[in-house]
Amino acid sequence: MNRIKIVIVILGLLFASSFFFQTKYFHKIAERSDIEFIKYDSENTWLKVYEFAGLQMRLVDMLLVVTLSLVSTMLILLIFILIKRTNRDKREKLRNVLLEQYQDLILSYLSDSVIKKEGFKKIARNKFSRQILIEQIIDVSHNLPIDAKLKLNKLYFFLGLIKDTLSKVDSFKWHEKIQGFKELSALNIKIYNHKIKKCINSKNDILRIESHIALVKLSDDSEPFEFLTNLDYHFSLWEQITLHQLMVENEMNVPNFGRWVDSKNLDVVMFCLRMIREYKQVNNYDELDRALLHEDEKVRKTAIEVIGDLGLFSLFKVLKKRYKYETYDNSIEIIKTMGKRPVKSVMNFLQNVVDVEDDVNLQIEAVKSIKNMGEDGKIRLEKMMNSDYKNYNIIIKHVLDDRIN
Amino acid sequence: MWFFINFVFFFTLLIIVAYVLLGIYSSLALRTYLRKNSYVDYNVVADSPLAPSVSIVAPAFNEEKSIVNNVKTLLGLHYRNYEVLVINDGSTDNTFQLIKDNFDLVKVNYYFDYRIPCERIKGIYKSTNPSFKRLTVVDKVNAGNKSDAINAGLNICKNDLLVTIDADSIIEPDALSKLVKPFLEEKDKKVIGTGGVIRVLNSCDVEDGKVKQVNLPKKFLPRLQVLEYTRAFLLGRMAWSKLDGLMLISGAMGMFDRETMIKVGGYDASVIGEDMEVVLRMRRYMAEQKKKYIVTYIPDPLCWTEVPEDLKSLKQQRTRWTRGLIDSLIKHKTIFLNKKYGKLGMLGYPFWFIFEWLAPLAAFSGILYTIFLIVIGSMNWPIFLLLTAFIYSFSIFLSTWSILFEELTFHKYRRKRDVIRLVLTSFIEPFLYVILAYFSVVGNIQHIRGTGSWGTINRQGN
Repeated sequence: MNRIKIVIVILGLLFASSFFFQTKYFHKIAERSDIEFIKYDSENTWLKVYEFAGLQMRLVDMLLVVTLSLVSTMLILLIFILIKRTNRDKREKLRNVLLEQYQDLILSYLSDSVIKKEGFKKIARNKFSRQILIEQIIDVSHNLPIDAKLKLNKLYFFLGLIKDTLSKVDSFKWHEKIQGFKELSALNIKIYNHKIKKCINSKNDILRIESHIALVKLSDDSEPFEFLTNLDYHFSLWEQITLHQLMVENEMNVPNFGRWVDSKNLDVVMFCLRMIREYKQVNNYDELDRALLHEDEKVRKTAIEVIGDLGLFSLFKVLKKRYKYETYDNSIEIIKTMGKRPVKSVMNFLQNVVDVEDDVNLQIEAVKSIKNMGEDGKIRLEKMMNSDYKNYNIIIKHVLDDRIN
Repeated sequence: MWFFINFVFFFTLLIIVAYVLLGIYSSLALRTYLRKNSYVDYNVVADSPLAPSVSIVAPAFNEEKSIVNNVKTLLGLHYRNYEVLVINDGSTDNTFQLIKDNFDLVKVNYYFDYRIPCERIKGIYKSTNPSFKRLTVVDKVNAGNKSDAINAGLNICKNDLLVTIDADSIIEPDALSKLVKPFLEEKDKKVIGTGGVIRVLNSCDVEDGKVKQVNLPKKFLPRLQVLEYTRAFLLGRMAWSKLDGLMLISGAMGMFDRETMIKVGGYDASVIGEDMEVVLRMRRYMAEQKKKYIVTYIPDPLCWTEVPEDLKSLKQQRTRWTRGLIDSLIKHKTIFLNKKYGKLGMLGYPFWFIFEWLAPLAAFSGILYTIFLIVIGSMNWPIFLLLTAFIYSFSIFLSTWSILFEELTFHKYRRKRDVIRLVLTSFIEPFLYVILAYFSVVGNIQHIRGTGSWGTINRQGN
C-alpha cells in the first residue's frame, strides 16, 4: 500500500508542477529559439527535408521507415523462430521413425544376407533420409565383428550411399568435407585417401586436424603418422589428445616416435615425447638425452617428465647437472622426476635442495621425492625432523599426510 | 538545450549501430563455432591422461541451502585430472558444518605459503573417504569479499589451470572439457582465460545438484534477466571474443591460466567488480610484457545460477555491478584509447566506457528531460511518440534476434510456449529499462560517496 501511495503522491506532484509551469512560464519557454525539439514549424530539424540517395525525405519519415522496418523484421524473425521450431520437432520425429525402420532393415539384412533393396530405397528417397541411413549404418557397424562390418560396407556401396559421402568430400564447404572424412573413416574406406591427403597442410585448422585424424584411422598399420614428417603447421594439444585416444581405442600398431624428436616443428617434438612415454619406448634414450638440451624450455620439461616416467636412471646424472641451469618450472620437474623411482644416489641431492632452497614448492617436492625412496627415504625424513639445522617439521608433516598428496 | 537533445539522439544512434554490428559479428562467429564443434567429442579430452590438470576454486559464504548438493556436483564432473577447493569464507550459518559432516572431513597438516596475500586460513580439511579424494576444504576468516577467498584458494591449488566459480552455481558435467578446449588449441598466442555462458536457474528442475529440466522462470523479473543474459552472452561476448576485446569473464564461472594469475598477484580484494578487474589486469600484464595472448569465450551453456527475484535484490546486484565496472575502468584508465593494448585499448575499453558506464546515465538524464518537457507542457508529442516507437522497436528487435540465436544454437527452452513467453517479455522489457538505468545512477552515486554493500540474493536452494 505504501508504494501505491508514493506513486500517487509523485503523480500528483507531477500534475501540480506541470499545471504551475504551463500557466506561468510556457510563453517564455516557447520563445526560446534553440529548443527545436518542441517547435512544430518547418525549421525543426526533424521536419526539415533532406536529400539522401536521390530521395527527398524528412528525418521523421526516415525514423518512421526504420521503425516499421524493425517491427517487420522482428515479426519475420518471430515467424522464422516458430517455423524453425516446428520443423525441428517434425524432423526429430521423422528421424526417430527412420532410425527405427533402418535398424530393422539392417538387422534383417545382417541375419539373412539378402538386400531388400526396395525396402531401403523406399524410405531413402531424399538426402535427409539417406544421411540418416548412413549414420545408422555407421552406428550399427561400431560394435560388429569384421565380417559383419564388411557386409555393411557392401550394403553401403550397393545403395549408392558412397556418392553422398563423396559429394561431401568434394564439397568446397569445409564442414561438409569433414563430414565426408568422418564417414569414410568410420566405414574404413581407404580407396579415397588421396582426396583426404590434399588437406593435410590446409590453412583451415579444423579441416587439417580432421584430415589427420581420418588418415590415421584409415592408414595401413605401417605408416599411420607419416604426415608428421612434413607437417608445417601447428599441431595442437587437442589434436594430439584426439590421436592418442584413437590409438588407444583402436589398439593400433604405433611407430617409433623417436623418429620425429628432432623435428623442426615443436608441436611434433612434444607429441612424440608424450607418445614415447605413453608407449614406453625406452629405446629412445639418445633422443631424450638430446631433448634435455633443446632450446625450448617446454620441450626440456616434457623430456624431464618422460625420463622419470620411463625410469631412465642413467640420465639422472645429467638431470642433476642441469638443475641449477634450468628454469623454475623445470627445476621443480627435475626434483619430481628424482622421486618417481627409488634411487639412493639422488637422496643427498634432494636433501641439499631442501636445505638450500627457500622456495616452498621446491622444498615440498624435494621432501616428497625423498619420501618416495621407500624405507631409506622415511629414515632420512625422520633424521631431518630431528635436525637442529632447520625446522623441517611443517613440510615433512604435510608430505607424510597421505590424504593431502 | 540543442546540444543536449542532439547529443542524446546521436549517442542513442551510436549505441544502436554498435549493437547491430556486434550482432552481425556475433552471428558469424557463432556459426563458425557451431560448425567447428559439431564434430567434437569432449569425452576424448575428459578421459585423456594428456589433458591439463584443473583446480576448481569455489568460495562459499552462508550457502547452507545448496552447498552439499553443489559440492557433490563439482565432485561428479566428467574430467580425469582435477581437484575441488571449497573455501568456507567465514560463513556464519551451518555451511562449514554441513560440508564437514557430509564429506567426512578432518583437519590436515597442510603446508603452504601466503604467496598471494589473503586473510588468515584457519585450517585445511581433507576427507577420510577416498571417494572424496579430489575435495579440499579451506576454512578461512572472512574478509568481506570473494576475491580474498579465491586468493586463499590460489595459495593452495597446484594444477595448471584455475577455475573460479560461485559455490551456489550449478556446473554442467562437461563444463571443464569445454572450457579446456581453447587452451588445448592455442597456437602462437597464449590463452590466459576462457569464459562460457551463464544461464538462469530460477524455476528449473534440479535433482542431486544437476539441472534435469530447463524451464523459463515463472516470475517476471528472472524472465527479464533471461533475456538480458541471452543478449549479453550470445550477442555481445561472442563478438567481443572474436574482436579480441573481451574484458569480462563472469565470476560465476571462468577458467584461467594459473601461472599468469599468480604472476599478476591474484584477485584484487580492494575492488568490487573483481571478475572484470582481474581480466583487465591479466591483459595489461601480457600486453606490457609484450607477450602474445588471447582471452577466449565459448557460447556453450556451462553454468546455471539463480538471479534476483525481487527488486531489492536486483537493485543490490545492479548497483554493485555498476560500482565494480567504475572501479575497474578507473583503475585501468591507462588502457583507454592506448594503442599499446591493441583492440582492448582501441575498441573494448572505449565500448565499455561509453556504452556500459555512460549509456545508462545518458538514458536516465533523457528520461528526466522528457519529464521536464512534459511538466512544462512543451513536449512535441508526435515526434516524442515516434522516437519512443523507434527505440522500442529496436529493443524488441534486438531481443528477438538473441532469442533466434538461442533457438538456432543451444535450444535450451524446449517448450514452444516458453519461447512465446520470452518474446512477450521482450515487449514489456523496454518499459522497465528506466528502473535499470535508475539502479545504475544509484551505483554511480554510491561509488562517488563510497557507500553500498555486496548484497545477497534470496536463494531458493536446490
